[in-house]
Amino acid sequence: MVFLSLSFWREAGGAMNVNYLSVAPELILTVAVVLLLMIDVQWKPGYRWWGIAAALGFAGAIAASVMQWVGHRGEDAAEYFRGMIATDGFSAFAGILIFPIAAMALMTAWPLVRSLGRRGAEFVVLVMIAAAGAHLMAAASNLVMLFIALEVFSISLYVLAGFTRARADADEAALKYFLLGALASAIFLYGIALVFAATGTTSITGIATFLGNELLFRPGILLAGIALLVVGLGFKVSAAPFHVWAPDVYQGAPGGVTGFLAASAKIAGFAAAARVLTVALDARIEDWAPAIGVIAAVSIVVGTLLAIAQTDLKRMLAYSSVAHAGFILTALVGGAAGVADMWFYVATYAVQVVAAFGVAAVVSGPQQGPAPLADYAGLSTRSPGLALALGLMMLAMGGIPLTAGFVGKAAVFSAALDADYLWLVVLALVAAVAGLFFYLRVVVLMYMQPAEGSGSVPVPLGARIVLVVAAVVTVLAGVVPWPLLRWLGEALPG
Amino acid sequence: MIVNQFLVLAALLFSIGIYGVLVRRNAVLVLLSIELMLTAVNINLVAFGQYLQDALVSGQVFALFVITVAAAEVGIGLAIVILIFRNRSSANVDELDLLKW
Repeated sequence: MVFLSLSFWREAGGAMNVNYLSVAPELILTVAVVLLLMIDVQWKPGYRWWGIAAALGFAGAIAASVMQWVGHRGEDAAEYFRGMIATDGFSAFAGILIFPIAAMALMTAWPLVRSLGRRGAEFVVLVMIAAAGAHLMAAASNLVMLFIALEVFSISLYVLAGFTRARADADEAALKYFLLGALASAIFLYGIALVFAATGTTSITGIATFLGNELLFRPGILLAGIALLVVGLGFKVSAAPFHVWAPDVYQGAPGGVTGFLAASAKIAGFAAAARVLTVALDARIEDWAPAIGVIAAVSIVVGTLLAIAQTDLKRMLAYSSVAHAGFILTALVGGAAGVADMWFYVATYAVQVVAAFGVAAVVSGPQQGPAPLADYAGLSTRSPGLALALGLMMLAMGGIPLTAGFVGKAAVFSAALDADYLWLVVLALVAAVAGLFFYLRVVVLMYMQPAEGSGSVPVPLGARIVLVVAAVVTVLAGVVPWPLLRWLGEALPG
Repeated sequence: MIVNQFLVLAALLFSIGIYGVLVRRNAVLVLLSIELMLTAVNINLVAFGQYLQDALVSGQVFALFVITVAAAEVGIGLAIVILIFRNRSSANVDELDLLKW
């Protein structure tokens, strides 16, 4: 019986082409997770060991991603495990991005991990599993795989959002994130089912081949499927009008978690969106590009306007992340031609948002609770380093020249202009200028207002490293963006 | 094979699920409504898999994966609901108003 089923599979799906390098980041992280948990249960070595295990896991995953990048950059996707995993420059770059970001977020969350006592190990493990799921989302070349990776990623994040069990605001954030995330997953799945119905396959390259060769006389079911897929992905990247969960979750979840959540959801969500839209549905670009353009415009306007009214830094950053989702979507209206610009924006924004929430986590203390803007008045006198880092991140997010944020905006706007979306670029430019208001307000608050609290804010070592790295990357990518832009030309989905 | 009746059933179930998510106030019932939506997807997947006579039986296999993942998701969801209930002695989603605007 087993033999029969095996031969059946071989006939139906071709050879099972196993390639361990293609899943090496996930394998290494999983091994690190298992080791961390087992050794922790047996010998109870405490948080130092968690840090070592996580560092080894992330270092190994980054090394594996770099090896994938060296071997596959600029080439067409190589598909392994019977067309489930695609290894190309795109998935390799996603790994090179997501694993350092996760490690940085973990470093900013470290005071929280230590304050959790024995439960801290689970926190570290969940961040590692979520990072593996996020990379798998970028590497999935089958919608089944994409769905499972999405769930691995999302379920870990639901738990992380409510990890500080006693805090009512974090619980509320977790439940809201879970209910809306599960709803989005169900909508996304319905979209997959409809696309499967219209094309007869769940393989991303298979869908691309089918749509490229066949002329659909009644494309209704396919269009409905595409619409539902876009809604599902829009939820994950917090694009308006599917953003309602983001402000509550970003504000309620602990600061270190929020940084990871904001950065990784953008990376993984846009990686999945880019692969599904520009590879699988490339032949249907006339159908989805206008919808993406409208969602981008709504996100930019809604995010910018609502961010102006906020009095909590984390909530303000949440609305700003809605606006940034819109800016990133602006690159995708150009289809495959915009993917490199999308990557540049996503990569630099992820670094900025982790650093900004890192500052919020430090200022609000080890429990990493709410971050009212009043706490930031006069921060430059209480902690010049923190104020400098947060100020730089605000300027970068606002798109001031000589920071990565400016180059990112220029890149996505040029991609949209190439695709003849002038109205979208004009709207985005106006919104970007309006957005400067709330970014600069934070800078003014920190540098020109008298301090309310007294005494300096102690900055833990982990957060200090993260802020320095983020500041260097942000300035470097803003002053000399060409090497990164050239590499990203080789990080396209094949 | 005619698939229309399955598609209509799935669409109805999905709509009932969305309606439930929007109007139900108890978090457990919202969870239940999301399960209804996933069931609708499963019906769709199995019906299309059978209709397309796919050699890889992708539709049916996908449905199995959806069932498994849905179980994991419900596990986490109920845990979060219990957490909320412990902290506020109510699992009413209307009362989750600490965070707004």
